Amino acid sequence: MLRERPRWWPRFSSTLRSTAVTARIGRALGVAIALLFVTGLLSHYQYEPWTWLPEPAKPVWGYRLTQGIHVATGTATIPLLLVKLWSVYPNLFRFPPIRSIRHAFERLSVAILVSSALVQVATGFLNVLNWYPFPWYFPPVHRFLGYVVVGSVLLHIGVKLPDIVYGLKAKLAEADVLTEIPWNENPYSHSNAGTLAAPPTPGISRRGVLAAAGTGLGIVVVTSIGQTATPLEPIGLLAARQWTRGPQGVPVNRTAEQARVIPAATSAEWWLQVVGPRPYELALADLEERAVHEARLPINCVEGWSVGASWRGLSLLEVVQRAGGTADSRVLLLSLEPEGYNHSLIEGPQLSAALLATHLNGQRLDVDHGFPLRLIAPNRAGVLNTKWLNRIEVLS
Amino acid sequence: MKAWRIILAVAGIGLGLFGVFRLVTEIGVHSLLALALWMLAALAIHDGILSPAVIAVGGTLRRLVPDRARRYLQIVLIMSGLITVIAVPMIFLRDSQPPVKALLLRNYGANLSLLIVVIAVVTLILYAVRVARDRSPEAPHSAGMVSTRK
Repeated sequence: MLRERPRWWPRFSSTLRSTAVTARIGRALGVAIALLFVTGLLSHYQYEPWTWLPEPAKPVWGYRLTQGIHVATGTATIPLLLVKLWSVYPNLFRFPPIRSIRHAFERLSVAILVSSALVQVATGFLNVLNWYPFPWYFPPVHRFLGYVVVGSVLLHIGVKLPDIVYGLKAKLAEADVLTEIPWNENPYSHSNAGTLAAPPTPGISRRGVLAAAGTGLGIVVVTSIGQTATPLEPIGLLAARQWTRGPQGVPVNRTAEQARVIPAATSAEWWLQVVGPRPYELALADLEERAVHEARLPINCVEGWSVGASWRGLSLLEVVQRAGGTADSRVLLLSLEPEGYNHSLIEGPQLSAALLATHLNGQRLDVDHGFPLRLIAPNRAGVLNTKWLNRIEVLS
Repeated sequence: MKAWRIILAVAGIGLGLFGVFRLVTEIGVHSLLALALWMLAALAIHDGILSPAVIAVGGTLRRLVPDRARRYLQIVLIMSGLITVIAVPMIFLRDSQPPVKALLLRNYGANLSLLIVVIAVVTLILYAVRVARDRSPEAPHSAGMVSTRK
C-alpha cells in the first residue's frame, strides 16, 4: 500500500480555505436547509392533511409566506451550497483516499449528502421554472429526497461536530488552512504549528470571501423575491413570475388549453352539480345572481409566486348548506379537467372561508383562471384552488 | 459532545434511511435509476468540471494580476459568478412557457449583464479609492488596515 502521496496527487496552496470559513458557511447552509425542510413539510401537509387537524384558514397569507420562504431560500441555497463545496473541495483529495472501513462510510455519506443536495436544489429550481428534463414525477421525489438530504446533514453534523466547534470558535483570519491534509493530522497546519501570525491572504481575505458571497446571495434573493413580495416586483430582475403580466393581474399555472377544458368550460350548456343529502343543480345564469360575496385573498403557488387579488363569488358554505351539508362537512370539488390536479378536498376552517369565485379583480373570470367557476380559499396551496368546477360533493 | 454526536448520527441515519425506504417503495424503478444517474452526474459535473474550472481561474488570476487589483477582481467574480448560476437556466428557458403563465418573460440575459455591470462599477470605485489612499503619503485612513504597501 502506498504510504506517500504520488507526485501527481493534487496539492492545495490557497490560504483562503479554513475550517473557520467552512464552519461559518455551513452554519448558514444548515439554517437554510432547516427552513427548507420545515416549509417543505408544511406544504406537503396542505396536500395530505390529517382529518383531525384540518388546515387552518388563518393567517390568509400563511401559505404565501411559507412557500415564498421555501423558494427564495432554495434559490439562494444553490449558490450557498456551491460556496460550501468550494471551501471543502481539498477534502476530496485526502490521502490515502480510504483509510478504514469507518472512513469509507464517512466518505460514502458525504457523497450521498453532496449528490442528493445538489440534485434537490437543482430540480427544485427547475420545477419553479416549469422545466422537467428528468423523467420522475417531481413532488414525491422532492419530498423523499428531502428526507435523505436532511438525514445526511444531521449525520454530517454529528461526524464533523469537533471541526464545527473548532471552526466557529476560531478567529476567521487566524484559523487553520484547510488543505487536502486534515488540519488535526497535519503538524505543519497553521493551527498546530504554535503561535503564528495569521496566514497571509495576498488577494481577497477570508472575510472578503464571506462578504462577497453573502452579498451575491443577497442580490439573488432581492432580485427574485418580487414574485412573492409584490412591492419588490419592479426590481425583480431574476424573478421567474411577473404578476403584472398575467391575465387580470394574476399569473396562471395551468392554462385552459393545457387542461383541455376550453370547449366544456365555455359552453352555454355548463351547469354545476351539487351532490349531497339534498342534491341540486345551478345553471350559468344562477351563478351571476348569487355571486355577491367578496374577499381579498392571495393566490399562492407551491412554486413560490403569489399575488393578492379581489375575488367575488358564492359562499361555498352556503352552497354546501343548501345541499344539506354543514360547516363540519368534508367537501370534494371536481373540475372539468380530465386528469392531473382536477379535484380537491376542503373541510374545517377553509370550508367556511372559501369562495366559489366567478369574478377576479372586478372582471368575469378569465378561462385560464377557471371560468366559469373556481375555488379560492385562504392559506391554501394554489393548485388546490380547483378551477373549472362542475361538480361539488358533500361527503359527510 | 460525544452524546450529541451519537444522537445526531442516529437521527440522521434514521431519517435518511426513511427517505430511501419511501423512495424505493413508492417510486418506480425507471425513475429511481434516473435519479441515481442524476446524483452521479451532479457529483461528476461539480467535482470534475465546475470546481477544477474555478480553481484554474483562481490560479490564473494569481499569476497574472497584482494582489491589490486581484482582491477587487475576486470580489466581482465571486458575486457575479454566484448570480450567474441562478440566471443561466432562466436565460436558457426564457419564453419557453405559454404567455398567460407570466413565467420567464423577462430579458434575463440583459438583467444579468446589468447586475454584473453594477457590481463591477461599484467595485471599481472602491478599488480607485483604495489606490488613491495608498498613493497619498500620509494615508491616515488606512492606518491599521491590512496593507500591501512595502
